[in-house]
Amino acid sequence: MSVNEEETISLIVDGASFEVSLEAEMPLLWVLRDELGILGPKYGCGIAQCGACTVLIDGDAVRSCQVAAGDVWGPVTTIAALGLDGADHPLQTAWIKHQVAQCGYCQSGQILQAAALLEKDTSPTDSAIDAAMSSNLCRCGTYPRIRAAIHDAARSLRES
Amino acid sequence: MKPKKVSSVCIAVLACAVASTSAEEKGNTGSDTAFPTERVTQEMGLTAWAKIHAVASHPRCTNCHVGADNVPLWTRNPGDPPRAHGMAVNAGESRIGAEGLSCRTCHQTSKRPNQVSNAAPHTGMHWQLAPKEMQWTGKSSTEICKQLRDPDRNGGRDADGLVEHILDDMKETGFITWAFNPGGNREPAPGGLRAHLQDMALWTAAGMPCP
Repeated sequence: MSVNEEETISLIVDGASFEVSLEAEMPLLWVLRDELGILGPKYGCGIAQCGACTVLIDGDAVRSCQVAAGDVWGPVTTIAALGLDGADHPLQTAWIKHQVAQCGYCQSGQILQAAALLEKDTSPTDSAIDAAMSSNLCRCGTYPRIRAAIHDAARSLRES
Repeated sequence: MKPKKVSSVCIAVLACAVASTSAEEKGNTGSDTAFPTERVTQEMGLTAWAKIHAVASHPRCTNCHVGADNVPLWTRNPGDPPRAHGMAVNAGESRIGAEGLSCRTCHQTSKRPNQVSNAAPHTGMHWQLAPKEMQWTGKSSTEICKQLRDPDRNGGRDADGLVEHILDDMKETGFITWAFNPGGNREPAPGGLRAHLQDMALWTAAGMPCP
């Protein structure tokens, strides 16, 4: 199939099924924002340098600007569907408690990257948090609040 | 040293490889010289090794053939000295980033061409560092040569296994294949994929001599 030929792609995004006709090479971020109108994932750099476009695919944090629509291998979760059974995810609660966001542009990516971390490790150390979050950039410099909020959310998950 | 005869297995594998190489790959495989079927001397093997080493010591390979610190390298422009991968990335003992930030977060698994300059490259195999036993950074030609022929460090491969390793990579559009066609603004490894395959077959047929 040539690069510019459109095909029908089936996607599950935030629990809903979609069929879209587009070039399979189109980055998932473009599909989400321009085709499906899901605006949580943000365009930052387009080359996997900033993390603003982070979503979960089958639970793994990935940069949606780097995933071709035709390569999506599982259900996509954006910030809009992160909550648990209609309630906020502990990370979202902690984010509000610590007033993490400043301009907020990177925050949906930060929260989803942190969600992938807490899925694997509910007692992350500072260094584990730094390692997992090291490629999600925040130009406002909210890193100390991000780290504190992740610790808080981890505590909530352990106690729940 | 008495000349060695090229193994029939090796010739058969190479013949299949050349025949099955896709049209796209053919455009990026460099030299199109026929595989020699005459007896292979040690001198021919050492000549082939020199070309293999030129590939193995290129940043397209060494940037992920790093040591036990598990820190991949970056090379921004051709000729630049490699430096630590940005974002403080450490692939961990798992060598795939499982302990912290997965390589796959940015480096997708996809056989599609790499087209965007400076974007995270992808291959048809899950992105990962080479085993630390196969560290090539800071190693001499002789050291890398001895690594490659040592089954205890090369994944238990014999001579044919080393050639098949490249063939398997070609089928999967893996890291070796990508190194010769990295896309974007990245400098490819020297010589071309088919030439590299032929050099590996020659070197192994010659008894894997090291300088």
